[in-house]
Amino acid sequence: MKELLTMWRHTRMIILVALTAAVYAAVLIPFKAIPLIPGITEIRVAQIIPPVASLLFGPAAAWGTAIGNLIGDLFGTFGPGSFFGFIGNFFLGFIPYALWGRLGFLSSGQEPAMRNSRQVVEFVAVVLVSAVACAVIIAWGLEVLGLLPFAVLGNIITLNNFIFPAIVGPILLGLLYGRVKRWGLLWTQIMPAEDISTGRGTVGTGLAIVGSFGAYVLGNWISISGGALPFAAGFGQFGDPAVVGKASLVWALAPFMLALLLALFLCRPRTDLAASAERGMAA
Amino acid sequence: MDIYLYVEADTPLHRLDPRAKMLMLLALLLMAVAVDHPVLPGGLFLLVLVLAHVGRAWRSLRRVRTLLFIIGVFSTVTWSLFARGETPLFGPVQVEALLYGIGTGFKLVSTIAGSVVFLATTKNEEIATGLIRIGVPYPVAFAFSTALRLVPTFVGAGVTIIQAQKSRGLDVESGGFFQRLRKHLPLMVPVFAAAIRSTNQLAMALEAKGFGARPVRTYYLHLEFRPADWITAATGAALVVTALYLRLFSDALRIPGLIR
Repeated sequence: MKELLTMWRHTRMIILVALTAAVYAAVLIPFKAIPLIPGITEIRVAQIIPPVASLLFGPAAAWGTAIGNLIGDLFGTFGPGSFFGFIGNFFLGFIPYALWGRLGFLSSGQEPAMRNSRQVVEFVAVVLVSAVACAVIIAWGLEVLGLLPFAVLGNIITLNNFIFPAIVGPILLGLLYGRVKRWGLLWTQIMPAEDISTGRGTVGTGLAIVGSFGAYVLGNWISISGGALPFAAGFGQFGDPAVVGKASLVWALAPFMLALLLALFLCRPRTDLAASAERGMAA
Repeated sequence: MDIYLYVEADTPLHRLDPRAKMLMLLALLLMAVAVDHPVLPGGLFLLVLVLAHVGRAWRSLRRVRTLLFIIGVFSTVTWSLFARGETPLFGPVQVEALLYGIGTGFKLVSTIAGSVVFLATTKNEEIATGLIRIGVPYPVAFAFSTALRLVPTFVGAGVTIIQAQKSRGLDVESGGFFQRLRKHLPLMVPVFAAAIRSTNQLAMALEAKGFGARPVRTYYLHLEFRPADWITAATGAALVVTALYLRLFSDALRIPGLIR
């Protein structure tokens, strides 16, 4: 969390926010013409950019992805969903760098240079978590607003966010990582250690994973079963039937949304991996 | 290639302060989602069309008309099948669900059309300055406006790279959708690399001009609230309150028998 705020002190990080946002929007806009859910989402080849940018530029990518998505919306699909699109895309850019090196047996324990299969596996894992987190936030938000059912949007956004980055992302990151590092533009090279949150981040990582997948599974179940949750039955009997299905989904997913919000504060990115790689090369 | 929606003109909407227009846009979004019945979102859509006429924004609206039509039809069909009601109409569709579907279609169409009218009558600089004046921190607004300016540059760079590769024999236009997509993907690398490389130069240029040197900044573009802006802002605020009232305390525009 700390680095998400302190990054605004560094001119290079601010430029990287703008560049990430501009590149993301520039690739998003042409594909607005191929909608998957008209007015809400489209074929998004640009989804390759958030995880790659996240592992290169850290917090600048989180802000850049959110702003880039908003700019993309301004070119034809700006609407009530744009607010949740901003938050969802923020997580899309936040989770990969925040969870890199924190996924236990899935972690490579190395910098994300995409040099071996363990790094690729870890990349796919963080992309999956970020894809689901982004999808459940947007799908939940539009369910709150009553614009689209969770089951429709949650699954399409998850697939959209996952497939392209999982296949092409490692190649793009592998091509760019070494260059960006040579240019001294990795976020860990720009930001001093005192501007970055420290700690193990176990709780934050757990909350991000539980919040994402818990909301995804429960949201789909309620949405498809029509809100037949045990605790919604009484509400349905005595409350307004017009809001029963919606209320059960909105309230049932609220704790998971809270978990994702807390993850923002409790995740602790690893900044020692690039440095340890340099030490290894020097040795 | 002009990808912006802004239309150069001197209309009452163009002359309004961007903050007043932002408040009106917020009011439109809230009003649209406040009720389920299609009467209010349908009325809002008509209002947006009137505003498009006043702001001479038809050219921008025409660019998204196909999208708006598809959105309206898609939302109506989706919700007619997903929502439930008490009065059968045909097959699995009930009257209440169809009404809700039409209302949702109008909600999306009116808000998107409203945002197009906003962008057709407000310059990027006005949006950025407006954001700063409503309290968005300067670095955030700066990043937003810089990104907005850079989008056409990167789209142009992408087109140039594709043309350069085509002149060397790369065939990016044959094959199915996914085949063409696969051919386009490697072309993103030079766009991305060129963008990243310019970071240091941009940062040096900014710092040389005193970026972030002083906490209080002055601006070339001065925004001033005039009577028309106050009236617009007051109308927007009243609409926001009305929307909240309708959503939270009123059953006036509910669809009886609708189950979601």
